Amino acid sequence: MTAALAKLAAKRGRRVLVTEVGDEGDDYSPLARHWNRERLPRLPEPLEHNIHGAVLLARTGQELFLKSVLRSGTIARAALNSDALRRLLSAGPSFREMGVFFQLLTALREKTGDQPKHELILIDMPATGHTLSLTGLPELLLKLVPGGPIAAALKEGQAYLNDPKLASAWIVTLPETLPISECLELVDGLKKTKMPVGGVVVNRMPVDPFTKNEREALAPLVDQHAWLGRELFKKPIIAHRELARLRSHTALPIFVTPELSHDGLIPSLSGVLDTLTPLPLPTGGA
Amino acid sequence: MTDVRIGDLLRKKKVIVCCGAGGVGKTTTAAAISIAAARAGRKVLVLTIDPSRRLAETLGVSRNPTDPVRIPKERSDAAGITTGTLDAWMLDIKLVSDGAVRRLVKSEADAQRILTNRIYQQVSTMVAGMHEYTAMEALHRLVHEGRYDLVVLDTPPSRNALDFLEAPRRLSGLVDSRAISAFLPKSDSMVARAASRVIEKILSAVFGEEFAHEFVGFIGTFTSIFQSLNVDVNEMRRFLSGDDVAFLLVSSPAPAALTEASFFHDKTRELSLPFRGFVLNRSRATEADRPMPSLPSDANEAVRSGLPKLQGLAELEQSAAKRDFTLLGELTKRAGQGATAMALPDLPNGADDIATLVTVADALAAG
Repeated sequence: MTAALAKLAAKRGRRVLVTEVGDEGDDYSPLARHWNRERLPRLPEPLEHNIHGAVLLARTGQELFLKSVLRSGTIARAALNSDALRRLLSAGPSFREMGVFFQLLTALREKTGDQPKHELILIDMPATGHTLSLTGLPELLLKLVPGGPIAAALKEGQAYLNDPKLASAWIVTLPETLPISECLELVDGLKKTKMPVGGVVVNRMPVDPFTKNEREALAPLVDQHAWLGRELFKKPIIAHRELARLRSHTALPIFVTPELSHDGLIPSLSGVLDTLTPLPLPTGGA
Repeated sequence: MTDVRIGDLLRKKKVIVCCGAGGVGKTTTAAAISIAAARAGRKVLVLTIDPSRRLAETLGVSRNPTDPVRIPKERSDAAGITTGTLDAWMLDIKLVSDGAVRRLVKSEADAQRILTNRIYQQVSTMVAGMHEYTAMEALHRLVHEGRYDLVVLDTPPSRNALDFLEAPRRLSGLVDSRAISAFLPKSDSMVARAASRVIEKILSAVFGEEFAHEFVGFIGTFTSIFQSLNVDVNEMRRFLSGDDVAFLLVSSPAPAALTEASFFHDKTRELSLPFRGFVLNRSRATEADRPMPSLPSDANEAVRSGLPKLQGLAELEQSAAKRDFTLLGELTKRAGQGATAMALPDLPNGADDIATLVTVADALAAG
């Protein structure tokens, strides 16, 4: 979804930075593979016309931060060469999240002339818990460190992240039981961290090829004979049930994208996203 | 052919570590392995971190208890557990960390001093590697207490399946006394004092002088406590390398599954860990033999018009079944001697009821 959005935005003429939160030890990146790379570069590099890419790494952000704060190159180098400080930065409480946060902030600050270098920054976020650690970071740390350079950076980042005109989280989920449950938990979690949520994309929604009569007539036979095709026969029913559950539990805009073939997936998905509109609110909506 | 069966592992091993990337059904697999072992008469604990609300509800336990809890009798009965027992502990990092502080300090007053420290309260759970370290520490302690025949560990979600083993190194690096001494300007060595001054200057520049002082105090207290845990990463590695332990990789038939499996297999060999198998979850590998839909003799018009569509879906499932069967064969080959690969079915409704978990448990016990 991140790759498809990046390509769509770039096609519409926007300068995009596509990123993901990574780790020093990552061997491969599914996102980078859409640009025939094993990994995204540490600092923004062009991937194709209008698209730059970079992986958000704690260490890169920490280095950028120390250089900006300490100003003295000698002290910064001494700091980065210090074994104790390196260990602290790699494990100290919330330091990894701060590094990622600062690298993102650096990207937000980059300019070409007086214009932002990246008009749109897309971040492919990690698992729910790590996402909430990042989105909740400014508020949490500002309680502890209300002044100084870290606080200034946190406030600057918070001003972006908590402003729905500038930033929003989009939750991509599947029309299945556990993903929808996790999506609803994430909606609650993001709300608590004050991260605006733009909407939910329910991806890979199956098309139901059967009429009501056909479904009613075939349902008992499918179960009775345990025919192949049974799971795909039932999938649209489960998908619609789960979509209805999502709609009844959130008033967020919900978008639905269809199941697409793996071949040519990204151009197809970009095409779908190009004309996507949210589902209407259910009658007597949430 | 391999000589290992998952069913044997869950009857004989003392520790089964379920690894895997997020979203592959690892927690469900760990829960099903635990049920299968308890049904086989063993005293079992399933240990998991930040599980889904639904799994906790399915097992009938609260999400963040301070100690392992026995699953309620009606759930245990519903799971067909008779002579065995099943406890679950859904770890909350903060609670476990608080518990470790209480165990390790000399007095309640000392414990309170740490537990009420505002830095500890706000960010102790954000120490990198803390989740993994906590899980390892709990596993180590519970196994050595001897209360359970089998402990099943559902490792914290991560992008790479073996982050679980690598992440605690960061924490062990932090609690290394030589590194930490640089933050505490008490050393007799001139070099160490000079290094401390540089670090103090950096921390003051970054945090402001007042908070830097408080932060250094926190680091000193926090690390001195965790040093006394005396469960270092190397000891954990030795413990996890033993014959009583089995590592399983839970994966899905996604295109990257085989790449991940190969990486995992190589890594466990490199670390001399007892890799015992792949569990290919959400697989259709066993479904290729199911019958194709055919026209019944008494078919009505709706059946006649719907059947070709159903046959189209059946062909897709058959093709997926063949793909998964091939993948399972490749995983079996990859596993080699001393390990195995087995497939678990796709569960479109999730495994959020005991009956479904028991179905998965039975498949594992027979595997």
